[in-house]
Amino acid sequence: MDWFPLWNSLRIALISCILVFFAGIASAYYVARLNRIVKGILDVVLTLPLVLPPTVVGYFLLLLLGPRRPLGAWVAEYFEIRLVMTWYSGIFAAAVVAFPLMYRTARGAFESFDETLAASAQTLGLSNTYIFWRVRMPACRQGILAGVVLAFARALGEYGATSMIAGYTPGRTATISTTVYQLWRTNQDDLAFRWVMVNLAISAAVLLIVNMLEKQNRKKE
Amino acid sequence: MRKQFVRFFAFLMTMSFCFLTACAGETEGYPDEDRTKGLGTDAPVELVVFAAASLTETLGEIAKRYQTAAPHVTLVFNFDSSGTLKTQIQEGASCDLFLSAAQKQMNQLDAAAGEEANPDGLDFVKSETRVNLLENKVVLVVPEGNLAGIENFADLAADELSSICLGNDDVPVGQYSREILTGMGILESLESSGKITYGSNVKEVTTQVSEGVVDCGIIYATDAFSSGLLVVDEAAADMCGQVIYPAAVLKTSEHPEEAQAFLEFLQTPECQNIFEHVGFSMAK
Amino acid sequence: MELSVQIRKKLGKFNLDVAFETGNGVTGLLGASGCGKSLTLRCIAGITKPDEGRIVLDGVTLFDSERRINLPPQKRRVGLLFQNYALFPNMTVEQNLAAGLCRERERAQKEALVAEMIHKFHLTGLEKHRPSQLSGGQQQRTALARILLSRPRLLMLDEPFSALDSYLKWELELELSDHLTESAVPVLFVSHSRDEVYRLCSRVCVIAGGSSQPCVPVRELFDAPKTREAALLSGCKNYSEAVKIAETRVRALAWGQDLECGRPVSDSVRSLGVRSHALVLGAKMGENTMECVVLRVVDDVFSTVILARPLPAFDADVSDCSRIRLDIPKEQGAAIQKGERILVGVAPDDILLLE
Repeated sequence: MDWFPLWNSLRIALISCILVFFAGIASAYYVARLNRIVKGILDVVLTLPLVLPPTVVGYFLLLLLGPRRPLGAWVAEYFEIRLVMTWYSGIFAAAVVAFPLMYRTARGAFESFDETLAASAQTLGLSNTYIFWRVRMPACRQGILAGVVLAFARALGEYGATSMIAGYTPGRTATISTTVYQLWRTNQDDLAFRWVMVNLAISAAVLLIVNMLEKQNRKKE
Repeated sequence: MRKQFVRFFAFLMTMSFCFLTACAGETEGYPDEDRTKGLGTDAPVELVVFAAASLTETLGEIAKRYQTAAPHVTLVFNFDSSGTLKTQIQEGASCDLFLSAAQKQMNQLDAAAGEEANPDGLDFVKSETRVNLLENKVVLVVPEGNLAGIENFADLAADELSSICLGNDDVPVGQYSREILTGMGILESLESSGKITYGSNVKEVTTQVSEGVVDCGIIYATDAFSSGLLVVDEAAADMCGQVIYPAAVLKTSEHPEEAQAFLEFLQTPECQNIFEHVGFSMAK
Repeated sequence: MELSVQIRKKLGKFNLDVAFETGNGVTGLLGASGCGKSLTLRCIAGITKPDEGRIVLDGVTLFDSERRINLPPQKRRVGLLFQNYALFPNMTVEQNLAAGLCRERERAQKEALVAEMIHKFHLTGLEKHRPSQLSGGQQQRTALARILLSRPRLLMLDEPFSALDSYLKWELELELSDHLTESAVPVLFVSHSRDEVYRLCSRVCVIAGGSSQPCVPVRELFDAPKTREAALLSGCKNYSEAVKIAETRVRALAWGQDLECGRPVSDSVRSLGVRSHALVLGAKMGENTMECVVLRVVDDVFSTVILARPLPAFDADVSDCSRIRLDIPKEQGAAIQKGERILVGVAPDDILLLE
């Protein structure tokens, strides 16, 4: 069994998860304090990738990042790198598709945050950065952690958009999901099943670790 | 608040910068790796082949053989449905050789195919290199035991038939299947009596047949072969036309000569054997 | 210390229009719930931005809409004790206190100050506890200690006892009073309870329906409230519309009585009030006397409450007269029956003239 898809899936899921963590929290934080109408509109836009079929998301990404499109051409010219059909193309796909999960859960957490905590911290003279990382984030930990787990799981299982912009190149862009699909499609069900088990094992491990961390944290309080 | 956002943004930028540079390093890393592999005197070449998913196994086997035939060439495959591959090529994905499962997608990229077959006027294919590489047969398959007693396409009109599985219109074999049934004049009656179910890809059709969920199904000979299903009839050329896998070198190719060489290698008796072994026949 | 506040803010249909000035000691902001007391505190702390106005503390302008000054809360050095204390749930008592010391850079100094506060506020042994493990009183002490560590120029307390059980309140009030005296920080104390304000504050400013009245010494509010809102908040229960009829006399329209006030009456008098315990049974020399019909006798814990309707002394409709309420000792009230006619007296000094 060639383990490349495992390594590739893990790095894609991890990197996109980190990107989505910051992007999701930043947008959740700012959207939560906008007025109702703007909030409603932004909410729809930011949640769209969750609603659209992943293949459609992949198609849009291809239209955005393809080497013949402005952004893709610009990157190709200035950085001399291609954005599609490479292993890291999967990061764009996974990040876009996982983003709404992080954003929505983080926003829910921020909205239930007791703002008097932040206000009292301000009157004590604490800086806004300190308040954000040491007061707001710990208080919203549960929701944010849930968002990270969901985003990671979604990124790990991403298929449609990835297959569109990264393709399926064995040893180059193959992820667990695309490998499973290709194996299944070409009647190598046994091998496909083994990869499904690998995928399950990773997801179970991640959930277990998160639950353990959470339990430890709760004990401390 | 604004200050905080600026910091956030700066962090995101640094993050993305780090990962972009990491990526750049990665792409530069490949040629070195290839150089160590290349034993011949020729400069190492990386050939990107976009191929229909149904060729995954055979091309994997052929790639192994090609390493001996042309050690300086590294083959990189991208397997997907022909429609997806066509979109990726159209969007500028770098590709040297395209192996499509149908003429339709090849035509859509070929300026010589005429306006009707290529309405967008795309010009990606080196028309002079285009060949009809393989032929696949459309076959009628039944589950083990063949309880409904289906022996040929004509039996599909019989009352004994209670259900049949076809690929839907997205699946190339689905279009051929409908063509066959329309030609026989029984598509409407089968549809109105609710005997047809549609699978969204070939694998769904073969699974439904092998699990005995339906009485029979219409699929490609190669799929029947790899899924080990019992073939009872083969569609004649006049029933649905030939199912041809065309291949061509692309104009965007940076190594057109090596791509052409590999395309020719695919037509040698050595590869022919491999293709025929899984149910393909060479196109005439 | 000198605090001058003059702000306006519109929140939906609610209009906040507050102006007062105050100095050292404890100043109470007294008002019913929803009158804008807390909002005023938030504006002073800088958490909420007023639409217009000026806030100046010790010569430092915290907010001035005309000069476009709006200091962030961090730079105002105004401490605010929230109703729910707003302790950080993820930090221990020690860490919460240290958070108040963010202006202090040196670590050893920080630790010494925290230790001192923990001792002073009887939090010894609770250093490693989280807020959820503390009682209401301990939470309040922690929050107060945290604020005092940040060395505010002004301390504001927002209904500090509202989250506590009533049996705890009394003890905590005494404790808080000690801490306030000791720390010598000027205090703005928000409450809806006249008792708390009376006991803790030296000056008081009444806020009603979003508008403030001038700051007065506490005794003045209770002895001679100037407005009906102030009188209501000071606990006065009986009111009547009033007009001046002679130099020292007013006519209580709702009671159908002319009353002697024993002092010159201002022309601008609009109504009068009499506290329920200032109404006495029977007639005495020099007192105003009203004849009333008893409507109801209510036996309260330590006194008897009598609801009665005055019989108009001049030509007026009986049914127009509004009820009055008397609080009398139990031994006097025992004999009184519903429907009985009684004489009710009120000393001229006990009549509150309101504008």
